[in-house]
Amino acid sequence: MPGRPLMVLLLLWSCNIMGAQALELADLEGKTHRLADYRGKVVLVNFWATWCAPCREEMPSLERLRQALAGRPFVVLAVNVGEGGRVAGDFMKAMPHGFTVLLDRDGGATRAWGARILPASYVLGPDGEVSFRHVGALDWSSAEMQRRLIALMP
Amino acid sequence: MDRRAFLASAAASAAVASLPWRGALAQSGWRSFEVTTRVDIQRPSGVSRAWIPLPLAGSNEWHRDQGDAWSGNAARAEVMRDPKYGAEMLYVEWPASQGAPYIEVTSRFATRDREVDLSRPGAGAARLSDAEARFFTAPTELIPTDGIVRETAESAVKGSRTDLQKARALYEWVVDNSFRDPEVRGCGWGDIKAMLEAKNLGGKCGDLNALFVGLARSVGVPARDVYGIRVAPSAHGYRSLGAGSPVISKAQHCRAEFFAAGIGWVPVDPADVRKVVLEEPPGNLAMDDPKVAAARRRLFGSWEMNWLAYNTGHDLALPHSRGPKLPYLMYPNGETGGERLDQLEPDAFKYAITARELKA
Repeated sequence: MPGRPLMVLLLLWSCNIMGAQALELADLEGKTHRLADYRGKVVLVNFWATWCAPCREEMPSLERLRQALAGRPFVVLAVNVGEGGRVAGDFMKAMPHGFTVLLDRDGGATRAWGARILPASYVLGPDGEVSFRHVGALDWSSAEMQRRLIALMP
Repeated sequence: MDRRAFLASAAASAAVASLPWRGALAQSGWRSFEVTTRVDIQRPSGVSRAWIPLPLAGSNEWHRDQGDAWSGNAARAEVMRDPKYGAEMLYVEWPASQGAPYIEVTSRFATRDREVDLSRPGAGAARLSDAEARFFTAPTELIPTDGIVRETAESAVKGSRTDLQKARALYEWVVDNSFRDPEVRGCGWGDIKAMLEAKNLGGKCGDLNALFVGLARSVGVPARDVYGIRVAPSAHGYRSLGAGSPVISKAQHCRAEFFAAGIGWVPVDPADVRKVVLEEPPGNLAMDDPKVAAARRRLFGSWEMNWLAYNTGHDLALPHSRGPKLPYLMYPNGETGGERLDQLEPDAFKYAITARELKA
């Protein structure tokens, strides 16, 4: 992450543990995804928008993380905030990814999760509870992050 | 359409276009904007901090926040909320080791023109609870509701029975008795008791709309200031009522609302009537000038939404600061080495705010 030492970013961790909000949104193909469908896995919910520079900056690291943890009980749900399928879809065509992109068309889910500043990420344990959250860009593929996520897995 | 009908229609359109506040006011269409605030702490000394107002949170009939993002070299950036008014800000912190602290906050929001039909009180319209009514009639540090404030208001509303009538009387009183003083720094801090005692009702929006709010509260009409910033030119032919360029660092503007039972929150802006009088070309317009008359009529019950609302907070203590409370939060604030920076000096501070409309 250019110009952002990890040590500095770690100061941004919030210790606010909270119960996860419900999440039920359609993906770019129109298929509905529910958070409850992923119970038993570690879930990274990432709220983002194409106009958000730090979101664009960190997104490749989400894909690297997904690839690094392939085969493990882990899933990334990237929730686009308020831009709709055309804008988000066009953007993702140019962004190699294998994770699920959901559309929060009216921003309702984003507000319910309290994701005021983008990017905002929430890591949920297999029990569906929020383990930790992070506001701002981060290198999600770092070895330290991988260790932290693996430690949450059943 | 035949030629005669077309000509008649064209003539009518031209006539409408030449009138002040042309066109239908309450546009049904939403417009989206992006506002970017960049803050640089110059000559940092020790720990540096900044507090940047964020757009009004959530959605209502005329505003939808669509998200915020930040970039920069801050060690900490966190959304904080004033516990009393819910005013939201981004709190930013840099360590002493950071030689060139900066942050850029990008906010997106959608808005549409706002107009309240004052002739048709709706039986189903929202009503304030007793607690809410008390809250919006309470004094603030600079807006007392007793003494000269109440005496002035009681005199101005004589003969008025309903809250709507009282608010109308106070609006007309402020328009008739105040003036826009271009020498006031920023938007004015709204020390309305001092203004009334000095018999000097000159000021800017922070003064004149606070005067309306204080007078209204003092006679039991719930009212509040709404602090924000202009983001686009006026579409109604008023050069003085819009942002003249994409750089809006000095385009802060506050407005006011009062609550009328059976109607709801009603937008008003007596300060902008006085701005039209002073600034609309060729300047120093007469009160019976058509542009002034149209603005005066429209600004009781409607707002053109070429403007971003931040919050309705008063007497705000900035989190993690030992500096003084702010009468309101409408500008970026900063601190370095324990000293508050001058929020009214964007070039020295320094901060720059830009806005652009997002076209679909």
